[in-house]
Amino acid sequence: MESMHYESPATVAEAVRLLSDAPPGSARVLAGGTDLLVQMRIGRIDPALIVDVKRIPETRGVAVRDGALVIGASLETMTLRRAPDLEKNFPGLAEAAALIGSDQIQGRASLGGNLCNASPAADTVPALIVLGAQAEIAGPEGTRRVPVAEFVTGPGSTVLGRGEFLVSLHVPLPAPRSADAYLRLIPRTEMDIAVVGSAVSVTLDAGGTCTAARVVLGAVAPTAIEVPEAAAALIGSTLDDAALGRAGQAATAACNPINDMRGTVEYRRKVAAVLTRRAAAKAAERAAGRN
Amino acid sequence: MSDERKYRWVGTRPIRHDGVDKVTGRANFGADFSLPGMLHGKVLRSPHAHARIVSIDVAPALALEGVKVAITGADMPDIASEMGTAGEGQVDYAEVSRNVMAREKALYDGHPVAAVAATTSEIAEEALSRIVVEYEVLPHVLTVDEAMAPGAPILHDHLRTAGLDPVPDEPTNVAQRIEIGRGDLAAGFAEADEIVEHEFTTQMVHQGYIEPHAVVARSGEDDQSVVWCCTQGPFTVRAMCAKLLGLDVSKIKVIPSEIGGGFGGKTTVYVEPLAVLLSRKAGRPVKIVMSRQEVFRGSGPASGTRIRVKLGAKADGRLTAAEAWLAYEAGAFKGSPVVAGAMCMFAPYAVENVKIEGYDVVVNKPKVNAYRAPGAPPAAFAAESALDELARKLGMDPVELRLVNAVKEGSQAIYGPKFRAIGMVETLQAAREHPHLKAKLGPNQGRGIATGFWFNAGMQSSASVSLNEDGTATVVSGCPDIGGSRTSLALMAAEELGIDVQKVRPVVADTETIGYNDATGGSRVTFATGMAVIESARDVVRQLRERAASIWGVELEQVEWNDGQALPINGADEGELEPLSIGTLARRAARTGGPISASTSLTARGAGPSFATHICDVEVDPETGVVQVVRYTAIQDAGKAVHPGYVEGQYQGGAAQGIGWALNEEYVYDEKGVLQNPGFLDYRMPVASDLPMIDTVIVEVPNPTHPYGVRGVGETPIIPPLAAVANAVRDATGVRFGDLPMSPPTVLARLDAR
Amino acid sequence: MATVVFSSGLQRYTGGVERVNVDATDVRGLIAALDTRFPGIGQVIGSGMAVAIDGEIIPDAMLEAVPPDGEVHFLPPIGGGAGGDRGRTAQRT
Repeated sequence: MESMHYESPATVAEAVRLLSDAPPGSARVLAGGTDLLVQMRIGRIDPALIVDVKRIPETRGVAVRDGALVIGASLETMTLRRAPDLEKNFPGLAEAAALIGSDQIQGRASLGGNLCNASPAADTVPALIVLGAQAEIAGPEGTRRVPVAEFVTGPGSTVLGRGEFLVSLHVPLPAPRSADAYLRLIPRTEMDIAVVGSAVSVTLDAGGTCTAARVVLGAVAPTAIEVPEAAAALIGSTLDDAALGRAGQAATAACNPINDMRGTVEYRRKVAAVLTRRAAAKAAERAAGRN
Repeated sequence: MSDERKYRWVGTRPIRHDGVDKVTGRANFGADFSLPGMLHGKVLRSPHAHARIVSIDVAPALALEGVKVAITGADMPDIASEMGTAGEGQVDYAEVSRNVMAREKALYDGHPVAAVAATTSEIAEEALSRIVVEYEVLPHVLTVDEAMAPGAPILHDHLRTAGLDPVPDEPTNVAQRIEIGRGDLAAGFAEADEIVEHEFTTQMVHQGYIEPHAVVARSGEDDQSVVWCCTQGPFTVRAMCAKLLGLDVSKIKVIPSEIGGGFGGKTTVYVEPLAVLLSRKAGRPVKIVMSRQEVFRGSGPASGTRIRVKLGAKADGRLTAAEAWLAYEAGAFKGSPVVAGAMCMFAPYAVENVKIEGYDVVVNKPKVNAYRAPGAPPAAFAAESALDELARKLGMDPVELRLVNAVKEGSQAIYGPKFRAIGMVETLQAAREHPHLKAKLGPNQGRGIATGFWFNAGMQSSASVSLNEDGTATVVSGCPDIGGSRTSLALMAAEELGIDVQKVRPVVADTETIGYNDATGGSRVTFATGMAVIESARDVVRQLRERAASIWGVELEQVEWNDGQALPINGADEGELEPLSIGTLARRAARTGGPISASTSLTARGAGPSFATHICDVEVDPETGVVQVVRYTAIQDAGKAVHPGYVEGQYQGGAAQGIGWALNEEYVYDEKGVLQNPGFLDYRMPVASDLPMIDTVIVEVPNPTHPYGVRGVGETPIIPPLAAVANAVRDATGVRFGDLPMSPPTVLARLDAR
Repeated sequence: MATVVFSSGLQRYTGGVERVNVDATDVRGLIAALDTRFPGIGQVIGSGMAVAIDGEIIPDAMLEAVPPDGEVHFLPPIGGGAGGDRGRTAQRT
């Protein structure tokens, strides 16, 4: 049995060096640890090196900068939720963040961790994608940006290469008369994993017609999936019941869910439509209320 | 016994004596003990639902540095079949032994096949992975349907169906057939104006206690053993360790820790005998703590069932016939609570013609254990759902239908005996008058009611009451506190002694410091141990009066005890003699005759049944099938609520568990018989935000055989919710759900099929 | 004389008789008297059935007194566990 090492670097460069030097697959990044520790305890992973990034300033904090809300990758969700800029600009992302785990878990869990854990059911990933969020990654070759939509490549796997880690998330501020919404279905009211999640962002013109939209589903495929057909059903409409219905049908068609004890394939397909309709209606109502 | 008496302490709500410890984390639970030189034990469990164990090689594990000892079924003594008490019922020690450690066969995913003890838990875990087990996988059965089907794989070659006459000689998975009933069923159905017939299924569920099983055992070559563990029955643990390991009962001491929930699941042994055996062999203390996954796979959940009900009634609602067929999963060894289910399901109703047939069926799942009113919740689910359908067919209000048929004092119970004073009618009337029934329902909402019955147990208890030199009292008993009983016992002692309840110190003792006690269970502790405490306290009061009499030089009859002091009466110079307080008499005890204390051991008689009526409102999302409980009221007869706050807590806790049973909880197995959801994420119990505040109403119809009228209350509350929720969903959606749980995919599928 | 009431499950051993009067002072004597009247019923009752006297369910009731006008019922064992293989020695499973 190997013993495990713990490092707590204070700079991006230091973290990159530690991760690059470690043998492939032997190191894990620690932010809140709410997925990492659980997986270690059930024996799914057995890292030899833990790199705690919470002392690195670039991974902390939340502030508006250069037209985007910049969220440190290791920032606790509870702290993030208290930022007035979050609810003000991205009520859907705020909704998604509020759904993570529970109050206790949110005291540690981070959006960065939620993304890097790459669960098909991650709540904040669809919400980030519909907002066009970007992931800022640091590595041996320097820093690079990747759209969150491309970050996750499969269950548990991401585009992060050897020596790379997620530093922050950049969420562009919304255009006028734009708003987002996120809904998920769970059998209980909290402390549960999404059976289906649906994120919708819409932009309306002065007359209330939808000029832009994005629809992303979670928990119904190996990764979050964007449904352009659902967005197309909304664009050009006034988000009336017929348009919402068509968007819902597109969501059902796009699903590729599995049968598991949380939900059957048939159930997930049906609920994907219901949540997409409801999220789109909510986003539209919010967008209409914004100048 | 009269209810006219005015109580000073009984019926009040002091903060429980163990409260501060529990909310600050100071309380010591099963896993909180450690000893010098202690080893860590771990259990290797079968990954197969049914398999012959061809060979086990522990040598590679023993070769690992730090591993001190390893055991398998070969190290467990072979013992003969013998019945013993566990919880409210009986078990066969030989089968307990085989459940604790497999012998020739592994009978469920999670069945222990070996155990090790090592210097650290990491080494112990690694040691398990080095044990080589050769299995011959066998076909398995998971449900009563599969197990009862002709040609089904057989778990126990020797098992024959008891209760059939003659006992057949074919191997079977049906361990027993029982039948209770009376009257003429055919005639009863013939005279009925309406008949309702329905079939129901429920799934295996777990008690869901937050604290996993944990034990530290210190044993040696001299056969002396000390066992620290969380348990509902320290004397049961002692008896089982003794029987299973061939030790003397008197050489085992069991010290119960604080217990983080049991609900019947901690009334037998799982890892305790293994810890003792490992400790004996290693010569060092051994600690075993179950993981949450192990609790689900390797403790004692509650039976899944299939139940058929047929009811007949006249147009005015009078039941003329009730028939039921029940099949209960026993798990890997015989002994499900099908009998209690049969006894309770129609018990609230006076119906002349009854026949209930029940089957105890073994399946490749963990051996079932008691879960709060064991056997009754699924059976009542079936009976109360059928009654709801009957009410609809008759066009009758569901409360009225039950009132028409409700049992009263003098009614003959379905299972035979006549009832003494009972509160079935009173709880129904309280429901009828409750504002909940009159509240308006919104869209997609529905309301259901259901009743429940549990007979409650008496059984054996011992307690002692001792007066301390400063006038405070210590009350010692032997039943672990799972519901606030410690404080209730203190209240009873305070009442009898006439002192402030905060001056009474209630203590849960170990098996060497108090006389024999049956386990905490059967809703019996406040009732039975309470009786022992009251008797002892009254004896102490008599001794105090004797001391006062001798101090004053008067006769005993001239001394009265009131409000914590001795008063002269009946011509004993009342004007001249100052009252003697308990504090004064306690200080002078040494000089007036010695220490003042009393102890009582008894088998409590006259346990009174507790009836309940629950009202449930739900809202069903027709597009997702999610069922939300939006209002819930639990009304139950407590006889006399000693501590109303803890009685209410029992009502709410049982309701919460019953709601979970109805909506989302179930054991999920794959096609190989491997448990898929051994964790709280996917074994879905309600969390606090899932439930509204559960309103409670305490009805008091005193139990005539108890000094204060106390009835046990802990178990009845889990019985009505399954049907109350299902009836509410029926009301909201028009769909009758006979298969639990009503999880969202199940509900949506039925709604869409409407 | 105590009255014994037989549930339908036991009536197969009494030829359909539902209630009888028995002269006995304790449960052991009562069961013996019943077995004389209905041969074989003693073994069925003795294999773990619980006894209820005047409404009270009593475990291990053999030496329990039977009141002169008492009513006695027999119930299948409540906690489950008594089975057809009682009397056999260690099972091979």
